[in-house]
Amino acid sequence: MKETPLSNCERRFLLRAIEEKKRLDGRQTYDYRNIKISFGTDYGCCVVELGKTRVLGQVSCELVSPKLNRATEGILFFNLELSQMAAPAFEPGRQSDLLVKLNRLLERCLRNSKCIDTESLCVVAGEKVWQIRVDLHLLNHDGNIIDAASIAAIVALCHFRRPDVSVQGDEVTLYTPEERDPVPLSIHHLPICVSFAFFQQGTYLLVDPNEREERVMDGLLVIAMNKHREICTIQSSGGIMLLKDQVLRCSKIAGVKVLEITELIQKALENDQKVRKEGGKFGFAESIASQRITAFKMEKAPIDTSDVEEKAEEIIAEAEPPSEVVSNPVLWTPGTAQIGEGLENSWGDLEDSAKEEEDVDGTDGAVILGSTKMDTGVEVSNIGSQDAPIVLSDSEEEEMIILEPDKNPKKIRTQTISAKQEKAPSKKPVKKRKKKRAAN
Amino acid sequence: MEGAMLADAKIRTESGTESGPRVSGCSLRHFACEQNLLSRPDGSASFLQGDTSVLAGVYGPAEVKVSKEIFNKATLEVILRPKIGLPGVAEKSRERLIRNTCEAVVLGTLHPRTSITVVLQVVSDAGSLLACCLNASCMALVDAGVPMRALFCGVTCALNSDGTLVLDPTAKQEKEARAVLTFALDSVERKLLMSTTKGLYSDAELQQCLAAAQAASQHVFHFYRESLQRRYSKS
Amino acid sequence: MAEAVSVVAESLAGDRARAARNVLGQVVLPGEELLLPEQEDAEGPGSAGERPLRLNAGTRSRGRVVCGPGLRRYGDRLLVTKCGRLRHKEPGGGSGGGVYWVDSQQKRYVPVKGDHVIGIVTAKSGDIFKVDVGGSEPASLSYLAFEGATKRNRPNVQVGDLIYGQFVVANKDMEPEMVCIDSCGRASGMGVIGQDGLLFKVTLGLIRKLLAPDCEILQEVGKLYPLEIVFGMNGRIWVKAKTIQQTLILANILEACEHMTADQRKQIFSRLAEC
Repeated sequence: MKETPLSNCERRFLLRAIEEKKRLDGRQTYDYRNIKISFGTDYGCCVVELGKTRVLGQVSCELVSPKLNRATEGILFFNLELSQMAAPAFEPGRQSDLLVKLNRLLERCLRNSKCIDTESLCVVAGEKVWQIRVDLHLLNHDGNIIDAASIAAIVALCHFRRPDVSVQGDEVTLYTPEERDPVPLSIHHLPICVSFAFFQQGTYLLVDPNEREERVMDGLLVIAMNKHREICTIQSSGGIMLLKDQVLRCSKIAGVKVLEITELIQKALENDQKVRKEGGKFGFAESIASQRITAFKMEKAPIDTSDVEEKAEEIIAEAEPPSEVVSNPVLWTPGTAQIGEGLENSWGDLEDSAKEEEDVDGTDGAVILGSTKMDTGVEVSNIGSQDAPIVLSDSEEEEMIILEPDKNPKKIRTQTISAKQEKAPSKKPVKKRKKKRAAN
Repeated sequence: MEGAMLADAKIRTESGTESGPRVSGCSLRHFACEQNLLSRPDGSASFLQGDTSVLAGVYGPAEVKVSKEIFNKATLEVILRPKIGLPGVAEKSRERLIRNTCEAVVLGTLHPRTSITVVLQVVSDAGSLLACCLNASCMALVDAGVPMRALFCGVTCALNSDGTLVLDPTAKQEKEARAVLTFALDSVERKLLMSTTKGLYSDAELQQCLAAAQAASQHVFHFYRESLQRRYSKS
Repeated sequence: MAEAVSVVAESLAGDRARAARNVLGQVVLPGEELLLPEQEDAEGPGSAGERPLRLNAGTRSRGRVVCGPGLRRYGDRLLVTKCGRLRHKEPGGGSGGGVYWVDSQQKRYVPVKGDHVIGIVTAKSGDIFKVDVGGSEPASLSYLAFEGATKRNRPNVQVGDLIYGQFVVANKDMEPEMVCIDSCGRASGMGVIGQDGLLFKVTLGLIRKLLAPDCEILQEVGKLYPLEIVFGMNGRIWVKAKTIQQTLILANILEACEHMTADQRKQIFSRLAEC
């Protein structure tokens, strides 16, 4: 899907507004949008919202053999995905330039800055190390993906706990969370990316550009920094020439912003830890703003299932006829006969059954095995037939009814269907019709 | 509406007075749903069942690639994204189940040569994931205003080794269960749109699970109605 | 069958056949069926349990019923296909019939013949412009469909310009076509929108709400600052005031109106008028 084009009028308005130091959402030049961090129930799972931009982060780990040249170091792996959910123009499974650029920047910001002690991830040198995988999913794109992603990555890493291991001789024992408390990663510092958008060949600058501002910007400068004001990486893109003073000024601003964000992250992490310790409620369900009218919650709802057994029994009683022994040879088609019980013979109706299979696949599409297929069909039609009895006007139907003269007609109808499925493959079309009606 | 309310009240009071041993496990976890939470997609919903959470975004009716264009109806696509790693066979098979369920209720013929795309993101999996995916996609489709002939919901049942039935199982319950059955039911006649099962069970148990799923679907649809009524309370 | 099933059946009956006039203004969900006034009695005494008392039983007349957005004919009933509030408009003369539709808060636009929309020109190809209107495919706009345009005298339209126009062809099977003139060949407000001002997107429901004849928002907004404003039925609003600041304020107010009740809006406007 294509992105909605940007009109000349929007472009002009945005640039004029920037000249007047006004932004569409009422922010000042150096303001960040609101940052909200919420944690999932699992360790290492978080959602970071930067205004309307939203990133989901999840950290996972695995014991692998280390890289040959780094036998005593754990492996860090970052993967940012631009889901189509975030913007219509993102195509699934395509490595766009933007995606490559963002992933590389994240790696430089988080792996190459050595913020995580990879040596502590070594279990047995040269044999077993932890591979820490950070998956980031962009859920909604409203500009400044990199800042949101870098916050999500570092928050998820801080929140993550890996299972405890012990080494005795050659044996490596992995402990479940119940046996031993999982251990957090050792993190030296929190690098955070801060983006600056430049307009009019660098005359104007904005912190944390949103999507529309990004569309009209001339260049972008990303500075990754930690709270000790150490620059972890710096990248300028878009082909603008910046003066030394401009870069220095940006790094000063970045220092202030990083300090604010780090404080926020630490507060969020502390809060979550406190709630977990106290045994309170945590997870995404708690982070939904219930005062919004678009949100709604329902408490645990008991379901009365006391009668399901009776109901099921009744349906089965109705559906299944007493087993019937075919004592006489039955001639299905000329040249094919059957005696006694056993699997149904399908010699005469190869095409028919093949068509039936296709039909089921095409309409229901569900993976339903042979025996369940019959039951569901019967069950559904049975309930449906309560208020509106389904009348089948097949002559074959009449024949079958005679077999069970002492039951009421409605029951017989359903009965005959299952009877037919078991015994008479040539009558499958009837069942098919019935199934379709049920599906309607 | 009144009928549904009555039915609901009835079920509640009955189970309230019963308080027998059978009540164990036969309840839905707490539900939560937020609609229209993403700004970019045409419709979005986040659905939570207990600790299981799925986020869904819907685009449509939007432009379609020529290669995927169908001349007399909309092209329905479902993309399911796992939380960790890349989508594999399990995701593909679930995508298909969800797509076929959606196809049964979406009136695609009203928008020929367009695409309706449902993107699902697993946010946390704590059991009954497929059912939660179905519920999230239904709410997102409703939010996007895609024409549908009925609503649908997903219900998962688990059968324990001793034959007890658990509705809306957690991941632990699913793991211990002998069989796990997921059904999709429509809101008009409570009929079956899709079913997928894992494990061994008898046909009597299948009927029990279906009957229980139908009873549970009442509550899910009631939840849908309440949350949509709340959503439109200011318009 | 056991009790629960009868309960299900009961609720189905309640769910499925509600009289349309009883749920006017209420939230309806996809899959619900609505009875039209005529059928209420045609249903007979069997379903009399929930039937409302009617006052004008004798004076009923068969009117033409129009199925608006979100509704489909389903046999002799109406099937709801979208979620929203059910609305009804009485026809010009007499009772019965009229238009029923569902007021939903959708974001995606589907072209409708006669709708006035704001489009963005994406391409010029030969005699036609391709205009993005937010639908599933771009609309076409002939260069002759402007006031006073001839083969010699072409309108000045650039890629990226905003167009305010009207659909003359819009159906599910054909490419939508726009024009910027009315049936008399007059622009009557349509054409290329000026180069200043701000374009922003809101839900389709909000546009309908703002354009409703009884909506006070526009009057209130007009009292704040002098402004130029264009509403496109495709959810786009173009607004221009004297200064950038004022334009931004107006855009933000209009966006915020979506989720406010009438009282809340009144408060906001009185606060703004003070400052």
